[in-house]
Amino acid sequence: MYERHILICAGTGCISSGALDIQNVLIDELKKHGLEDKVRIIMSGCHGFCEKGPIFIVYPEDVFYCEVKAEDVPEIVEEYLVKGNMVERLLYKDPVSEETVISHDKIMFYSKQKRLALRNCGVIDPENIDEYIIRGGYIGLKKALQMEPMEVVNEVKSSGLRGRGGAGFPTGMKWQFGNSSPGVKKYVVCNADEGDPGAFMDRSILEGDPHAVLEGMLIAGQAINSDEGYIYVRSEYPLAIKRLRTAIGQAEKYGILGENILGFGFNFKIKIKEGAGAFVCGEETALLSSIEGKRGVPRHRPPFPAVKGLWGKPTIINNVETLANVPIIMRSGAEEFASVGTEGSKGTKVFALTGKVNNTGLVEVPMGISIREVVFDIGGGIRYGKKFKAAQIGGPSGGCIPDEHLDLPIDFDSLTAAGAMMGSGGLVVVDEDTCMVDMARYFLNFTKKESCGQCIPCRLGTTQMYNILEDITEGRGKPEDIDLLEELATAVKKGSMCGLGQTAPNPILTTLRYFRDEYEAHVIEKRCPALVCKALLKYSIDPEKCIGCQRCIKACPVDAISGEKKEPHIIDQDICTRCAACFEACPKKVLAVQVVSEGLPEMKELAVSKEGK
Amino acid sequence: MEKFIDPCCEKCFNSKEKPCDQFVECCLEGPLCHESEPCKKAREAIVDKYSHSSAFREH
Repeated sequence: MYERHILICAGTGCISSGALDIQNVLIDELKKHGLEDKVRIIMSGCHGFCEKGPIFIVYPEDVFYCEVKAEDVPEIVEEYLVKGNMVERLLYKDPVSEETVISHDKIMFYSKQKRLALRNCGVIDPENIDEYIIRGGYIGLKKALQMEPMEVVNEVKSSGLRGRGGAGFPTGMKWQFGNSSPGVKKYVVCNADEGDPGAFMDRSILEGDPHAVLEGMLIAGQAINSDEGYIYVRSEYPLAIKRLRTAIGQAEKYGILGENILGFGFNFKIKIKEGAGAFVCGEETALLSSIEGKRGVPRHRPPFPAVKGLWGKPTIINNVETLANVPIIMRSGAEEFASVGTEGSKGTKVFALTGKVNNTGLVEVPMGISIREVVFDIGGGIRYGKKFKAAQIGGPSGGCIPDEHLDLPIDFDSLTAAGAMMGSGGLVVVDEDTCMVDMARYFLNFTKKESCGQCIPCRLGTTQMYNILEDITEGRGKPEDIDLLEELATAVKKGSMCGLGQTAPNPILTTLRYFRDEYEAHVIEKRCPALVCKALLKYSIDPEKCIGCQRCIKACPVDAISGEKKEPHIIDQDICTRCAACFEACPKKVLAVQVVSEGLPEMKELAVSKEGK
Repeated sequence: MEKFIDPCCEKCFNSKEKPCDQFVECCLEGPLCHESEPCKKAREAIVDKYSHSSAFREH
């Protein structure tokens, strides 16, 4: 029996920040103080608050130490574990109130969350099946095994669970198709090919609670009469793969995977297929081709995979987060699950909250929560007191939601109506310093490169849209480009074969819908209101403010600045590459270098000092 | 009994060849096929060992 338990976040992010070093020092320090038998160290999955990692929580008191480094560990052991004095400097400080918070559940980042899919992440040792069982694990499977397959399907249908991977298709309905498809051999596939830039929801679940995904797959297997499952996970997730392999080994040892599972005569085995990292393989038919050893390109649908999937057999494909929700539904009942969320979107959604917010990380919120609550309460508001501009929801396939829709509820239907989509859960917050045209260009660059090239609308359309956006951001845009872009985006959306092409224009369509004035400023006035697009900027030195310190001259990589010491300096606009090195080098007390986006001669010059920027 | 998969005594018959259909419940509430205070305590010891807070079992 241990007196204390110390949870160290061992998700990929915290490991990169030194969690394993912390563990090693802690082992030594506990030995040094004779505490090795009294304190248990748990290397847990991701706690979500990646902004503040590595995270180190002491139980049973629930003392939340954050941004801990290996060199802090002796102090924590000596001062807190031995003497009982709080190590104040490592406690969390609220960015708004500046109050110190001791327990993690009192931190706003956590207190507004509802963790269902992430219920065990940061709570258990993901490599210990016993801890999963203590937390109610495999009870849902047991219930499913006592039911007829169609009863399982109906329970999932009643829960209202919709796929968390992007499109939000009702999971129970998909399972029903799988169940009713004739055939002796059927497959369950877990889509763990998480490809959105900045998204790590699925990775965190796989790393922090792999048994939840295995249990979800087993229940799916029972529902459609399948005896074999595949987890398609990208090879860039080595820790997730390692923990999955460990979990599969443990489940087999415990008689939870394999033959005659728990004595119910149900057989199910799970294999892992490592993907090479192509974004398009997140599309279900491309994923199936990849598992089959073929090039990962989408197939025409119908027939849908539930009818003709892996190796031509009926196959259901569910995302990691979707599957992680299934054991809860079976264990606690569809009704309880459906009590969370909105009419059309039940349960919760996990988001990778990133961008210009104070608290970045992984958050799980009930469906129906407003964007405002996520950004300002959980996310702690915008960094440096800047103004919220938009939230890009759904990754590169999603769309942006502007500030006038901050109170929009986060659910499948509301987001779609607003032109965005739930997607897999990327949520990038941007502030007033973000150029929306440039952001659309950034996402198009991603989808253009990731297009498999099989269908013409996507292959050529994404390239053409990108070229137009590049022209606009580089000052070559023509007024007619805006309408052309809109027409092209609509055509690509309608004409593409798979979800990649059908959703790739979303960032363009939503930025055009909500930020058309920014496009017009770029193409008509030749200015970038957010002062981002280099070609539309000009750096100049205010001769009244310049003290002639020559710091900008030394910083300029292309020798575009001239001037004698203690004399005002001048930037040669023909040489200047707009790299901003002079802007950064100018002393804060001087602020002589200004960045301007002039626009047409009749436009009022827009100048912003370093402070303003 | 260090892990749930370990038999608590010779009366536990759970094995790959003869799996117990009450295995999962037995881990937390067992033993279910026989009465034994030491066997019950052995399971509780595993639960206590891993339960780092009162909320741990409130799932």
